[in-house]
Amino acid sequence: MKRYRVAVDIGGTFVDSILFDAETGRTRLAKASTTPDEPARGVLEALTRLGIDLADTELFVHGTTLGLNAVIQRRGVATGIITNAGFRDIFEIGRGDVPAASMYDFRYQRPPAIVPRRYRKGVVGRIAADGSELEPLDEAGVVAAAGELVAAGLRSIALCFLHSYRNPSHEERAAALIRAAFPSVAVSASSAITREYREYERTATAVVDAYINPIFNDYVGRLESGLVDAGFDGKLLIMRSAGGAMTAQTARKAPIYTVLSGPAGGLIGASYLAREIKRDRVLTLDYGGTSLDAAVIEDGEPLVMHEAPLADLPALIPIFDIRCIGAGGGSIAWVQEGLLQVGPHSAGSQPGPIAYGRGGTEPTTTDAAFILGFLDAANFLGGSVELDVAAARAGMAAKVAGPLGIDPTRAAAGIFDVLVARTAGAIREITVERGRDPRDFSMLAFGGAGPMIAPLIAREVENAELIVPQSPAVFSAWGMLMSDVVTDVARTELRPLDDPAEAPVMAAFDELVAQARAALADQASGSVGERIVRLVECRYAGQEHALEVELSDEQPFDTIRARFHALHKQRYGHAIDTAIQVVTLRVRASAVLPKPALPRAAAATGPVSDAMRGQREAFCFARRERIAFAVYDRAALAAGHAFDGPAIVEEGTATTVIHTDQTVTVDDYGHLIIRRRVA
Amino acid sequence: MMLDGATVEVIRSYLVSAAEEMRRTLIRTAFNPVIYEVLDFGISIFDAELELIADAPGLAFFLGANDYAIRKGVAHAGLETLRPGDILIMNYPYWNSAHAADATLFAPVFAPGADRPFAFTCIRAHWMDLGAKDPGYVLDSTDMHQEGLIFPGTRIYRDGAPVSDIIDIIRFNSRMPGPVLGDMEAQVAATRTGIVRLNAILAKFGADAFGEAVTRIKDHSDALVRKALAELPRGSWEADDLVDDDGVSDDPVPIHVRVTIDDDGMTCDFSGSSPAVRGPINIPIGLTETICKFALKSLTTPMQRNNAGSFRALTVIAPEGNLFHAAYPSATYTQWPAHLALELVYKALAQGMPERVAACSGGDTLGFMMIGRSKATGEMYAVSNNEPVGWGGSATHDGINATNHISGSLVRNTPIEVIEMKTGMRMETFGIRPDSGGAGRTRGGVGTERSIRFVEDGEFLSITKRSKERPWSLLGGARPETNELLVRAGTPEQKRVGTYRLPVRTGDRAVARAAGGAGYGIAFERDPGAVLEDVLDGYVTVAAAEREYKVVIAGSRVDEDGTARLRAPTA
Repeated sequence: MKRYRVAVDIGGTFVDSILFDAETGRTRLAKASTTPDEPARGVLEALTRLGIDLADTELFVHGTTLGLNAVIQRRGVATGIITNAGFRDIFEIGRGDVPAASMYDFRYQRPPAIVPRRYRKGVVGRIAADGSELEPLDEAGVVAAAGELVAAGLRSIALCFLHSYRNPSHEERAAALIRAAFPSVAVSASSAITREYREYERTATAVVDAYINPIFNDYVGRLESGLVDAGFDGKLLIMRSAGGAMTAQTARKAPIYTVLSGPAGGLIGASYLAREIKRDRVLTLDYGGTSLDAAVIEDGEPLVMHEAPLADLPALIPIFDIRCIGAGGGSIAWVQEGLLQVGPHSAGSQPGPIAYGRGGTEPTTTDAAFILGFLDAANFLGGSVELDVAAARAGMAAKVAGPLGIDPTRAAAGIFDVLVARTAGAIREITVERGRDPRDFSMLAFGGAGPMIAPLIAREVENAELIVPQSPAVFSAWGMLMSDVVTDVARTELRPLDDPAEAPVMAAFDELVAQARAALADQASGSVGERIVRLVECRYAGQEHALEVELSDEQPFDTIRARFHALHKQRYGHAIDTAIQVVTLRVRASAVLPKPALPRAAAATGPVSDAMRGQREAFCFARRERIAFAVYDRAALAAGHAFDGPAIVEEGTATTVIHTDQTVTVDDYGHLIIRRRVA
Repeated sequence: MMLDGATVEVIRSYLVSAAEEMRRTLIRTAFNPVIYEVLDFGISIFDAELELIADAPGLAFFLGANDYAIRKGVAHAGLETLRPGDILIMNYPYWNSAHAADATLFAPVFAPGADRPFAFTCIRAHWMDLGAKDPGYVLDSTDMHQEGLIFPGTRIYRDGAPVSDIIDIIRFNSRMPGPVLGDMEAQVAATRTGIVRLNAILAKFGADAFGEAVTRIKDHSDALVRKALAELPRGSWEADDLVDDDGVSDDPVPIHVRVTIDDDGMTCDFSGSSPAVRGPINIPIGLTETICKFALKSLTTPMQRNNAGSFRALTVIAPEGNLFHAAYPSATYTQWPAHLALELVYKALAQGMPERVAACSGGDTLGFMMIGRSKATGEMYAVSNNEPVGWGGSATHDGINATNHISGSLVRNTPIEVIEMKTGMRMETFGIRPDSGGAGRTRGGVGTERSIRFVEDGEFLSITKRSKERPWSLLGGARPETNELLVRAGTPEQKRVGTYRLPVRTGDRAVARAAGGAGYGIAFERDPGAVLEDVLDGYVTVAAAEREYKVVIAGSRVDEDGTARLRAPTA
């Protein structure tokens, strides 16, 4: 076993790298600027800054939203579609709906098409709903259609035929024919990525994969050769959107699985933490530069969805249920007809908040944080960034406070009040829709600004406790170190949940498990175990929404029935005496990798006042005035320390703000545990 | 006291969150897929004056329908009789602003110990069956009493406990009492969520701040709407259109509106429309108001949340007994003319401000449904789908291709793989219909064509009320062909229909053609480069490029000389 493991997470502004040193049991962080023109460069730079010998590195785990950005910015490669004759417009028509925000817009326009109609070809051949062949595939037609697309200069082809989720033979044959005839073209067949029904969604899934495939491959190629040049000969893993990782080799075949791999790291870390410190229900709050995201973890596992929106396109891939519930620190505050508004416009990272002095002229939530004294201008990001708080205050006065007839502090506090009102509402929604009370959850805050705002949200939602982990700013990268190698396979298998279905369903599961194991086999080197989870997605006959329950070997169908009724009652408030239908069978197989233990913090040897570094005036939301906050150095806090608000805990890349009605204890792992102070 | 603009916005955010939390609770606990899949519901919160202060809309046409319903319902029950724990039901169409299948539950919200409510909640949702003449959908009723059991504003909960006499009446008058009462309980649960949250907001800010904030919130929306209206030209404009038929006769039904924008705001007057008709297409006045609210909102503040202030600048006129002010006992079940009426308002406005609206879309929602018995299980199925239409061209853009009608643009179509799995329909083709978009300087979006082969026996029905009169264009644009269905297609019995129901046999074929949108401006002023792109993508054929747009396409380029010759003014 080599000495190091590293993980690297690419964000909008910075690349975060984190190192685990097996010899010392310690972690170390480094940062480099994101290099959008050639992302691999920033990644290699962040690695270099860790200052270790890559030859002594066992594992490199990587999260990137490169694929997602290519879709959002329409920077993928020219892509074509081959589908059934007579159905080439499925991709354009989609489900016929418009985004909710555009429901009153009679001039609504779709975003530019990734695949214009001229590059969508139909070929003869048809599979029926039961999987039988109605009409054989016109093989010469496939090659001819692909030839036309290649002649038009396309580099990538998406394949999707009706009912291929049930019988993929036409897609498989067509893919083989195209690859043989045009080896330089990337081919994405829908059924190779997902075996779920709904033709538009499956087509879009194949299109996204095809669209980003060559870009992703170029990127991984550069990264691999850069790593080899630096002496790395360990294992390169890419994070998946639904947790776990896959080898770079596997990711290159279907890069769509990686599209939201960055945020997934945070949830893997949170799940691991929840299990280690024994919290059954955790609400994560990730507040970074571009968005405020929340997710729910129950019994150590985040909820996985099986359809995700990627920009304007749906994708049938497993993905953590992470909800964006607000904009990031760049949201602009303004006054509209006498009322304060926050967002929807954002100053982003360019020009950014006024305080950054990069040309921003509109006050943002980050400017409000400086005005309220939450962030220390003299020491922001360890003093690496020069800040102009006076300009932020002047901007707030001119654009918000003046028009509202209040002072800048009150205006800045109002911005946070609006954010908290909205965020608390959104958090209630995501727990209420699962049939849970938000007060029963521990909140876990991370991301650079998470610990700053989370105490306000926890006050509002009345969470029992708020946990701030170690190094919250790089928590997502840290989470990647805790990843296993995972593969998901699934198949839509519509059947009534009755006795005759039991044998075929169990047989189908055996096939899926074998398939999942085969997919893991050449990725599993170094693993210390295997975990197989079999899930059955079912619904009441006649309904559309389905729920997943775990399969058991003992009386499998009776158990499914009981679990389904119970889960339905929890989620939807009722269970009904109606036949249950099996919809989709899912298998998740993991090759379990050895993980570093959660490091314990040293026990306190002196009073907490030793960790105090002075005082700073800031706005207390419990007392609604500016008062003196005690400032603590997180590095000097030790297990067993406890103190009351008002207090600010500084740690270079993150700031935790504890208000007067809150109290903090430091647990055995150095986590800050914030609770309501009992008066 | 005088609240600052930050605190008012905070209270507004909490009210919106309360409505959203009610929505989540309803979706979570509803039985009926129409509620959680099709979003066939509307949730509103009102202040003590019964003015809207926050909402969580589902279907666009539920926007504001609750406003009318709750005023009538509270008046019927008597404000002074309401007590904490009361929940009332209303579905009397002429008050409820919808057909009888939409059940509205409303409740007063009292602060602890108070003797008058400080707010009201209101939740409307589509119920699966209340004993109308036909199960599913009613296409040909001729009076209200064929459309189901009616409640005018009746307590189903009193002092927090269910009123079992009333609930029994529902149970024994519905063909599907289980799901119906399940949905009622879901509405009750969402109502209670709203009551808890509203009380929490009141406790947090106090009654004075709450009262001032809701006044300011409404005034703010009114100011935004008037500011946007001030940008529009002043004037008064009329428009006419034709609805296919009333469902029981074949005669087209004329509709008319006069829209006026002046210093007082916007007025829509439907007095010139047909009197009420015998079939079920009469529109309750509250729905007529809703149509106009949609139009005003889309013109002024499409991205803002709604409250009573959003609609203060609006006046709607339709005399009782008019098609747009249904009176007892007019039938109101099939409210398709509402789709046409929305675009009729735009048609009137277009005369004063063509550059601000779009030409007519394909016109309405073309729906179809197959009813049959599953071969495998013998159980009855009824699976429906809405076809997308092209939208109209506008000053700045071509109309969008193949998208659901704007009156239900958040509803999604039914995937082919689902239709083929659940029904005896097999799709032979489904795609864009070339040349179906009305030509113009900006083109109407293209519509679709679907060929359906029946592989089992059963029953098939279609609904559109725009298969006769072509969609209207603007500034010389072309009018596209209308929606249509061909049944028994390709046989000597082939028939072209709009709203229709017939038995189908294995081997039969039907063709659904959804209209494109109408064009905007003169077609031969369209940029030849844009015409070329349309031809390359097959939205427009080479022949139509030459005929409609006077653009000659040679291979993959524009024949500049040929085009110049065609476009030259004739001597």
